[in-house]
Amino acid sequence: MTEVVLAVVLGLLFALGTFLVLRRDVVRVTWGVTIISQATNVYLVTMGGIGGSIPILGHGGGGHGNVTDPLVQALVLTAIVIGFGTTAFALVLTYRVYQEHGTLDLREFGHEEWDGVNR
Amino acid sequence: MSDLVVAPLIVALLTAILCLLIRSRSQLQRGVSLLGGGVYLVAVGLLFRAVRSDADRTLVYQVSNWKAPYGITLVADDLSVIFLALTAVVSLAALAFSVRSITAAGQRLSYHPLYHFMVVGITGSFLTGDLFNLFVWFEVMLMSSYVLVVFYSGPEHTRAALQYTVLNLLGSAVMLLAIGGLYATTGTLNMADLARRLAAPDAYNVAVAPVLGLTALLFCVFALKAGIAPFQFWVPDAYRAAPAPVAAMLAGVVKKVGIYAIIRLYFSIFAVVTIPTGTGIEIGGQGLWIGTGAWSLVPSTGGGTFLAFFGPIILVMAVVSIILGGIGAVGRDDLDGLLAYSSIGQVGFIVLPLAVAATASPGDQLFQLGIVAAIIYSINHGFAKGMLFLVSGTVSEAVGSLKFNRLGGIVERDPVLAGTFFVGALSLIGVPPLSGFFGKLLVFDVAVTAQNTVGLIVLVFALSGAILTIAYLSLAWTRGFWGAPSESVDQVNMVPTLVAISAVLALVIIGLGIGFQPLYDAATDAANAAIDTQGYVDAVLGGTGA
Repeated sequence: MTEVVLAVVLGLLFALGTFLVLRRDVVRVTWGVTIISQATNVYLVTMGGIGGSIPILGHGGGGHGNVTDPLVQALVLTAIVIGFGTTAFALVLTYRVYQEHGTLDLREFGHEEWDGVNR
Repeated sequence: MSDLVVAPLIVALLTAILCLLIRSRSQLQRGVSLLGGGVYLVAVGLLFRAVRSDADRTLVYQVSNWKAPYGITLVADDLSVIFLALTAVVSLAALAFSVRSITAAGQRLSYHPLYHFMVVGITGSFLTGDLFNLFVWFEVMLMSSYVLVVFYSGPEHTRAALQYTVLNLLGSAVMLLAIGGLYATTGTLNMADLARRLAAPDAYNVAVAPVLGLTALLFCVFALKAGIAPFQFWVPDAYRAAPAPVAAMLAGVVKKVGIYAIIRLYFSIFAVVTIPTGTGIEIGGQGLWIGTGAWSLVPSTGGGTFLAFFGPIILVMAVVSIILGGIGAVGRDDLDGLLAYSSIGQVGFIVLPLAVAATASPGDQLFQLGIVAAIIYSINHGFAKGMLFLVSGTVSEAVGSLKFNRLGGIVERDPVLAGTFFVGALSLIGVPPLSGFFGKLLVFDVAVTAQNTVGLIVLVFALSGAILTIAYLSLAWTRGFWGAPSESVDQVNMVPTLVAISAVLALVIIGLGIGFQPLYDAATDAANAAIDTQGYVDAVLGGTGA
């Protein structure tokens, strides 16, 4: 049962993320990317198998029979930390884009002339 | 002895942290940064020598002494060290360049820590023997490169950085998906363990068909990093937005991380796997076959190897890159844009021999030759394109524009700089005795040796690509450097230090071409290291099969 619910949730999250990434508004694009990377994290957790008992044996009396894979949880922790950093950067960049262009609409971005002068 | 494997990583990391700590003391920071780049070169040199004098030619470092496949493994073999050597030389040159070319305010703005963190990420990607760890190093490299691309923060720069960031964030999510899936199907993340399990899928209860799909997903990510069509569109804007030394690193080295990952994973780890029959679309039981051997129009026909599946895909991507990059470059009206588009085309040339190698079986000589050609072309492109971006940085610094209609006649103002550009251009075109000649020669050699339809296709497109290369580089030469000095060029002086740095790289290119044998030997060994999957597995897992 949990598997089906999770699969549906994952599908919805990826669909929502993709929908947002394809918007014209930069903020929505950023949210879309964030949602997709979070959906990936959830997907990663499911890879360890759901419904097993706690991975650390001998503590708190758990750990009988089918044990959930602890490695994927370590992976997800790493991915979450990385995702946190990139999301923060993407949001700052979004704000900066607004400052530079005065708009958040991707179609209204001027195509400035490149002359190779970098300052 | 194998402790040496972590040396480049530690040097780069320490330099980055140290640069961050002494941010307030600008002069000192620059000195430390340059020194760190130098020590990095020495560390890589020592590692290079250690690997080549090692009996197994593979040095393994198990992080915290957690034995593979349980811990993270760092592996240095001939394939990783040749790319590390390229990184060390190009990054030191670009670093020396940036000390002079980035404004004082810019250097205070964390330029040096970011630069070294990028080098850390690159080094880690070349050394790691673990798939998830590869993802982490990719992120380290990309995070720093995002900030470096947006470094000047003008309107064009933020737009380019936004595109670059969003694309790579999506790429990272896809990479994580593929890695998670691979872990779920194979039960391991260690590359050597992966190779061992995939070689005997039944013994380890691995379903091969999903692995094929997941590796295809992973391939898209590497292609995105390498900027191969159809994932090339972020390249021109990002390269133009980045400061010149960063563009040199992005084009010269960061792209090669994608190429390295493709060679390492697809030509040594996944090369051994056979796709089970009954997978994918089959028409008439055989698929639609064209040409000879393992080539079919419907790639996922069962019975072939993984590489036979990827071969046609790589071929199409390479051909499209060459044509797209070439035509794009011819149509540019500024030097940076031309070089950026040229990068797309040149990467096509790098993966073209890989496509031919994919048609051959792993034991074949053609298989090895294809990888050798790809490696040599990568090395040459790394040096030449890195140098050309430094030249364009020098020009932009002095003239204040890279538009061809404002350039012209640099050869009279500064013959050394013009000569440097000329060497780089000739090397990309492939004129003997420069190293680019051997790169091109090997690509054609691979095509001729193949003696099949693929070889013919490769030959035709490599030739047209070569002609396009000549076209856009002579365009850049005549409009940017030849002739009488234009008004804006006539009044300026090029910065001698910057010219000297590019000139040194030009000497490296000439040296590599004249003394080509050592490079060829190193590349051949690297290709052999890539082919020798069993040796890699034995070295990492200790040969015990534990």
